[in-house]
This record gives sequence, C-alpha cells and structure tokens, in this order.
Amino acid sequence: MTDQTKRDEIPPGTLYMLILKSLGRHGRLHGFEMANWIQQLSDDVLQVEEGSLYPALQRMLVKGWVTAEWGLTAGNRRARYYRLTADGRKQLRTEMAQYRRVSDAIQKILQAV
Amino acid sequence: MRWLNELRRRMHFSMHTARYDQDLAEEMRLHLELRAAEKEADGLPAAAARAAAQRQFGNTTRLHEQGRDARGWPVLDALQQDLRYGFRSLKASPAFALTAVLSLALGIGANTAIFSIVNAVMLRTLPVEDPRALVEIKQGEMAELTNPIWEQIRDRQHAFSGTLAYSEARFDLADGGESQFAQGMWVSGDFFRVLGVPAFRGRVFNKYDDRRGVPALAVISYVFWQRRYAGDPAVMGKILRLNRRPFEIVGVTPPWFTGLNVDRGFDVAIPIACEPLLHPDRSALDSHSNWWLNVLGRLRPEESFAQAAARMNLLAPDVNRATLPPDWNPQDQAEYLKNLFALSPAARGFSETGSQYRGALFLLMAIAALVLLIACANVANLLLARAAARQREIAVRMAIGASRARIVRQLLTESLLLSLLGTGGGFLLALAGSRFLIHLLSTTANPLDIDLSPDLRVFAFTLAAAVLTALLFGLAPAFLATRVELERALKENARAATPGASRFDSNKALIVGQVALSLMLLVGSGLFLGTLRNLLTIDPGFQRQNVLVIDADFQQASVPKSQRVRVYGETIERLRALPGVVSASSSAIVPISGRGWNGVVQAEGFNATSFMDGLAFFNRISPGYFKTMRTPLLVGREFDAHDDSVSRKVAIINESAARHFFGSVNAIGKTIRLERPRDERGAPDLYEVIGVVKDAKYFSIEEKPTRTIYLSSAQDDDPPPNIAYEVRSSNSVERLIPSIQAAIAAVNRDASLEFRNFETQVSDSLLRPRIVAILSAAFGLLALLLAMIGLYGVTNYAVVRRKREIGIRLALGEQRSSVVWLMLRGVARLLLIGILCGVAASLAAGRLVTGLLYGIQPNDPLQVGAAVFILALAAGLAAYLPARRAARLDPMAALREE
Repeated sequence: MTDQTKRDEIPPGTLYMLILKSLGRHGRLHGFEMANWIQQLSDDVLQVEEGSLYPALQRMLVKGWVTAEWGLTAGNRRARYYRLTADGRKQLRTEMAQYRRVSDAIQKILQAV
Repeated sequence: MRWLNELRRRMHFSMHTARYDQDLAEEMRLHLELRAAEKEADGLPAAAARAAAQRQFGNTTRLHEQGRDARGWPVLDALQQDLRYGFRSLKASPAFALTAVLSLALGIGANTAIFSIVNAVMLRTLPVEDPRALVEIKQGEMAELTNPIWEQIRDRQHAFSGTLAYSEARFDLADGGESQFAQGMWVSGDFFRVLGVPAFRGRVFNKYDDRRGVPALAVISYVFWQRRYAGDPAVMGKILRLNRRPFEIVGVTPPWFTGLNVDRGFDVAIPIACEPLLHPDRSALDSHSNWWLNVLGRLRPEESFAQAAARMNLLAPDVNRATLPPDWNPQDQAEYLKNLFALSPAARGFSETGSQYRGALFLLMAIAALVLLIACANVANLLLARAAARQREIAVRMAIGASRARIVRQLLTESLLLSLLGTGGGFLLALAGSRFLIHLLSTTANPLDIDLSPDLRVFAFTLAAAVLTALLFGLAPAFLATRVELERALKENARAATPGASRFDSNKALIVGQVALSLMLLVGSGLFLGTLRNLLTIDPGFQRQNVLVIDADFQQASVPKSQRVRVYGETIERLRALPGVVSASSSAIVPISGRGWNGVVQAEGFNATSFMDGLAFFNRISPGYFKTMRTPLLVGREFDAHDDSVSRKVAIINESAARHFFGSVNAIGKTIRLERPRDERGAPDLYEVIGVVKDAKYFSIEEKPTRTIYLSSAQDDDPPPNIAYEVRSSNSVERLIPSIQAAIAAVNRDASLEFRNFETQVSDSLLRPRIVAILSAAFGLLALLLAMIGLYGVTNYAVVRRKREIGIRLALGEQRSSVVWLMLRGVARLLLIGILCGVAASLAAGRLVTGLLYGIQPNDPLQVGAAVFILALAAGLAAYLPARRAARLDPMAALREE
C-alpha cells in the first residue's frame, strides 16, 4: 500500500496513447512488458492498475489498432504479443497531436499566472 | 468503411468468444506469474509475492469481464438479458401469456392475411424487366382498343421504346363435347421482348409473328408445360389443339412469368395474327368496332409519363382518322375523331380482384385493424393487472438501484416478446388465412391463382404491426407500473401502491374503448349479414334452383349460318324429351353471367330525353324460356312455334320497360323500333309487343330493375355460332349432364359444351357480399370474445382487490346478491359509456359502407339494437362470472388471507 501513495494515477484517456506509444517504440510487446515499460520510463511516477491494460487491449483489438499473436518469451513462456496496425499508427499520431495541443494550452494558462 | 471493418471484427470476436476468453485469461495469468516471480526475486516470500502482484494487478474477475464486454455488443447483451428475464416471467404466468399471445396472433394474423392479398393484387409490381416503365395506353376511358388502333400505335410508335398488345381468352383443349379450358392470351409479336421475358425453352414470339397469315404457333407457360407435358424437353414442335385448331408449340416461358393478370396465370399464348384461324367468319383483326386488346407501352429511359402522353396525343388525330369505324352514324364518328389517348401506370399488372374487391378489401383491412386494436387494449389491460401484481417486485428492483428507464425497457421488452410471439403465430395464421380467403373467392367461372407468397413488403408490414402493437399496449402499462411510491409498495399491506386512481382510469378507458369498438364491429357484421340475407331472399324474377346452363359453341362445328336456327331449335326439342327434364330453352344471354347486350330503342309514343333514357337491355330467347326460368308472365303471351322468320317480328318486354316506355304494364300491341347499325337495307327494324313479364335481374342481383326487351331467337337473321341452353329438372341437375351431352351430340357431334349450375352461378355472383358478411361476422365475434376476456379480467381484478371489503360485508350479513351488484356496478357504468360511444361511432362510420350494403340502412335501429343487445348480454355474462365468485367467498377465509 505504501508504494501506491507516492505514485500518481495516470490521467484518464491516456492509457491508449501510452500503449500505442510503447508498441510504436518497441514494435512487439506482451502486456507485462508494456506495464514495465510505462512504469520505468515514467520513473515509476505513473501508476497503472496493471490489469486495466487488458480490457484496453481488447478494445483496441476491436478497433483494429493492434493485432495479437502468440509467441514465446525470453524465458520460454507462451505470451501474447501485440503489434501496431496501420490504423494504430495513425491513431497514435492523432492522439499525440491532440495531447500536445491540450497540454500546451494548459501550460500556457499556468505560465500566465 | 471503418465501422464496417469494426463490425466484421466484432462478429469475428463474438463467434470465437470462448477462444478469446481463454487467451485473455492466459495472458492475465502470465502477467501475474511474472510479476510474482519478480517480487519473489526481490526477496518476498512466495505467498506475499503473489498477493502483492495481485494487488498491483487489480480485480481479475472484473477485469476479465471488462475485457469480454469490450469485445461484445453492450446493447445486444442487455437485450439478451431482458429477453431471458422476459421469457422467465412469461413462463411464470402461462395463462396470461397464452391469452395475450393468442389475442395478438388473431389480430395480427387477420391484418397480415388481408394485407398479403392487398399486396398481391394492388401493390406488387409484375415480375418483368423494369415494370415501373410500363404504361397502359387507353383511348380516353376505354381500356380496350381495336386491332386497327393497335396496328397504328405499333407502326407509329415514336413515343415508347416498345409497345405490346394482348388480350385474355379461354381456349378449349377438348376435341368436342365438354369443354376443357386453358387460360390463354392473344399477344403481339413484341410482347415478350418488350416485357423482357426470355424463352425458357425454344423461342418466344418476335415481330415476324405479327404478320397476317402467320402459321399457328403457341408459346406455353412453365406451369402448363409441367402440368400437361410433365416438363418434357421434346415438347417443341408438338401440336396443341386449341378450339380444335392445331397450334405448334415453339417455346416455354420461364417459371417466374405468369402473364400480366395477377389473378391467375396463363397456360398458352398465341399471336394476335392467328386470330382469324379461331374466328373464321368474324375475325376481329380488321373490325373497327371490336374493342378487345389491351395495349401497353414501355417508357423510354429518359422520358416521363407526361412526355410520352404528349407524344402519343400528337398521333391521336392521324390514328383516329385511320381507324374510324365506317358504319357509324356521323354524330358518333365526329365524337370518335375527338378521341385522345390516356396513359396509366401498368407496373402492377391487371387484377379484377383488385378492382372488384378494392372497397371490400379496404373495409376488411379496417375491420382487421379494429380487431387488432381491441386485442391491444386487451393485452394492455392484462399487463396493467399484472403490473399491479408485480409492483412489489418492481419496487424492490428500483429500491436496489435500477433506473426507471431500465425497468421500462425491461417491461417493454416483455411486451415486444409477447407481440413477437403473437406475430409469429399471426404470420402462420395469415399464410393459411390468405390462401383460404382466395380459395373462397375463387369460382369455376373466375378461377383465382394469386401468388400469395410473402415478400419483403408483407414481412415489413407484419414487423411494423408487431412493433407498433408492442408500443401500443406496452408503453402505458410500463410507465404506470414504474410510477410507484417505494415505501408504500414495500410495506406489507399496501395493496395499491401505484397511484390507484390513474391506473384504474386507464383501465376503464381501455374497457370503454374495447366495448365501443366491438359494438362497431358487431353493428357492421349485422349490416353485412343483413345485406347478404336481403340478396339471398330477394325475388330475382327467376328461380335459380335445379337449372343447368349449357354454353354450346358451334364455331368449329361448321354449321352454316342458315342452319343455326334449325339446329338450335332441334337441340331444345331433344333436351325436352330427356327423362327428368321439366323444361328446356335457349337464350343469347344467361342472367347474372356478366354478359350483356344493350342498345337504343324508339318506342311508339315515347320521346327519349337522353341517350340513357332510350337505352334498353336485350336478350334473344326461345319459346319456353320464361317457363324454364320461372319468370311470371304478367300479360299477353310467350313466344311460340308460330313466331318464325317469316311471321311478324315480335317482342316481349319486362315490367320496367313497359312502365318506362309505355307508362303502363299493359303494352300489348305497341311497336318498338331497334337501331340496326349493321344493316343499311333501309327497312325499319320493328317489333310488336306481345307480352309483358315480371322484372328479372340481368347483370347482378344487386342491380336496380333493368329495362329488358326479349326478342325471339327464331327471328334472328344473324344467329351467332354460340348459344346457351337452360334445362330445368325435377331434382339434381348435374346427374343430367351425360344424357344432355348425348342429346346434343345426336344433333351435332362437334359442338363444344360447358356446363354450369345456374344456382352456383347466381351464388358465385354474391361472393363479395358473402365474403364481407362472413369475415365481418367472424371478426365481430372475435372482437366480442376479446371484449369479454377484457371485462372478465377487469371484474376479476376488482374482486381480488376488494376481497377484504367483500369479506367484511359478507361477515356483517350483507346479501350475496348485493355483493354481486357491488362488483357489477362499476362494470355496468363502463359498459353503458362504451355502448353509447360505440353507437355514436357506428352511426358516424356507417356512411362509409353504404356502397356495400343492400336493402338496409347503416343506421337501421333494429340492427344497432340487436348489436347492443348481444354485446350487453355477452359483456354481462363475462362480468357476472367473477362477481358471482365474489359473492360466494367464504368471509372467514377472505379476511384471514389479509
């Protein structure tokens, strides 16, 4: 419980973007790797309820942003690997552009004070 | 396109839902294991590591569900849930479900059955290429055109991409003796090409088959090919004898093409140019006053209806000049030259059923809709009562957080379920019902073979009826049921937690509406039954029983014209001599056969004020005709053997003609002059009246008295090749057929014969009023039954609701009869209001059906009174049964139950 308090919940709606980004960077990941990647890159600041990755991934499969296939991990375990589709790449670009617009705007407001 | 792909993927996922569930479970398991292993490597004990991993992961079950939902159909899943719940709750009260479903099935079935007939004869387009481009070309109001006009249109067709002509006919397949008819069509050479109907086997006709003197060729329909030739592929080149002339079969049409008449299919088509082969002595090909062809054109792709009509009418003056009937008087010719063409849509083909039964079908649709409305009211009533019984359940569900919208949706789903079940049953009923109805409408003279297979439009209609009824009967009860006051509903003894007054108000309104509508239907069925009774019991001026009519065609029997009168007379003599024959006669026209012959007459001392004023209907009869038909002679004498071609020409007229032309029944000795367009010999065609007979129906039983003039067949200078015999027997006429056949064959072996029972012919002519009467009576009874169920339910509900009160009253010594009255009082008031509304509505709606009534007024007090009496009796009974049960309650038991 203690380690949860010093972490921040990820802003709602950004989970997709984070997943897309992780896949954009690495090409092919399974869920556990994605969770680790997000945590490490955010210096453990961003906290994902790790399990929520999976419903999100299901939704992304339906939307056709990612595809899944079974493969083997380094430790020789069966794992389900995800990959971006062309639609997924497009989605990543739009989400990032949108995010930048919003965060720039917020920053401007904060600086104006 | 994106959503389409997503839909495809969703379908894929939901088809492999088990596999994807497994995959999801496995990858979540892997995640947990890897995380636990990591924590263990950091030094945690195994169990703590697993717990920590799980904490970090979240609630596996919920996440798994969310994952599955992400792939699913949220709306559909909820619907599935609602349906399952709905099924369960219907199964819990089977009596309610059965009553509701049955009411709806009957209501929807009646509507769909009538609609599928309306659809087949009035709405569906012909199964030919682009039927909407087809138009019928008429001359003014005249649908039929002469062959010369058709040839003009064909040869000058600038207005259309193609034109065709056709005429329906019956062809006799038998070689003499009793006729066996095939449904035939005379068609122009381009007929099949313009319609876009290819040959299924062999070839269809082409424009070369339009030349005069073309060999006798026939194209047969698929059905006829199967029926007569068992689909023999070697049928091409075979000889088919039609009216005893050989026709060579050259082709078969595809199964989907059944001709342009949707009432019945066709068996055989032959070129118009072959017509002289069948009518050698009076070919219609060059006749300027034989209107027998229907002409259709196909609009050019870029042209509108109006443009084509305008183009056609540019041609009209030339066509009129070229086809002017030379033997007409100058006045009529001048009128003829003014003729213009008129176009009308022909996409739906031709249907006498459609035009003849139009009013009746709309009436029946309206009646069926009313029945459905009553059924809806019934189901709504049942649902209201049910909602009262379920209010605690609903209150509990709302108390634990279900939104009102969610519960309304649940209740509406139940309604939809009911209506879908009802619709399914109704659809099956309709399939059988519409066929049965067409079977009833079909007669030997007018055999119907209407394609009633349901199409998209029928499905859409049924579905719309289902949804509409579900909303109609489900919406109000659902909203009322959810308007509960929670605490009161949840309290043990509060019986009426729903604002009682308002629910009971809608209940009452429904009962009043039901009673009113049922009364309307009862009044209607009374009127139609009365109409039928009037038509059946009216004195038509002849006696229809025990008369056999024989249509004899001597066309192919090569009896020369000069011999016809003798042959016809000799045949009658032989018929009279047969054992069992009371009397026999012949006539040109048999009453109520749909055939007629009229003309303008000049009566001695009578000045016609208009064309119609001088018009009379004719028949040409042998001696003994009135005796055979049992038409009473009022004054004078009948024709006898002395009235022949050399004696003075005589006529017998009916009472109406005598009154109209001569002002009194006694018209003996007066002279009537006929116009004779065919014969220009100059001598006036004069007839002396020798007798006056009672009025007899001519075209139909419904008609007003028709002025009729009977001429003698022995005095006919141009006897036609066909004649009708009437034979009256002492008992069953059908048994005489073999001996009659033999008697006629003894005179002429080659005559083609068709036998008809006169009584059947007359009663077939009353088919429409009969069908309307039967169906409206059936629907009326159905409505009455539904209203009774409704009243029973409402009274029963009141009894259950007031059990305790009744128990107390009985315990205090109140009379049982006064308890019955207590229960009935409310219902009686509703009944009274309903009856008043119903009487008012019947009187208002009565005007709409006057056209379908005979000898009875729509506001006939006796009819309305009888309907009110029947309804009050039935409704009283329905309400009395539960009220009596209330009076028999054991007061102790009723009180203890509370």
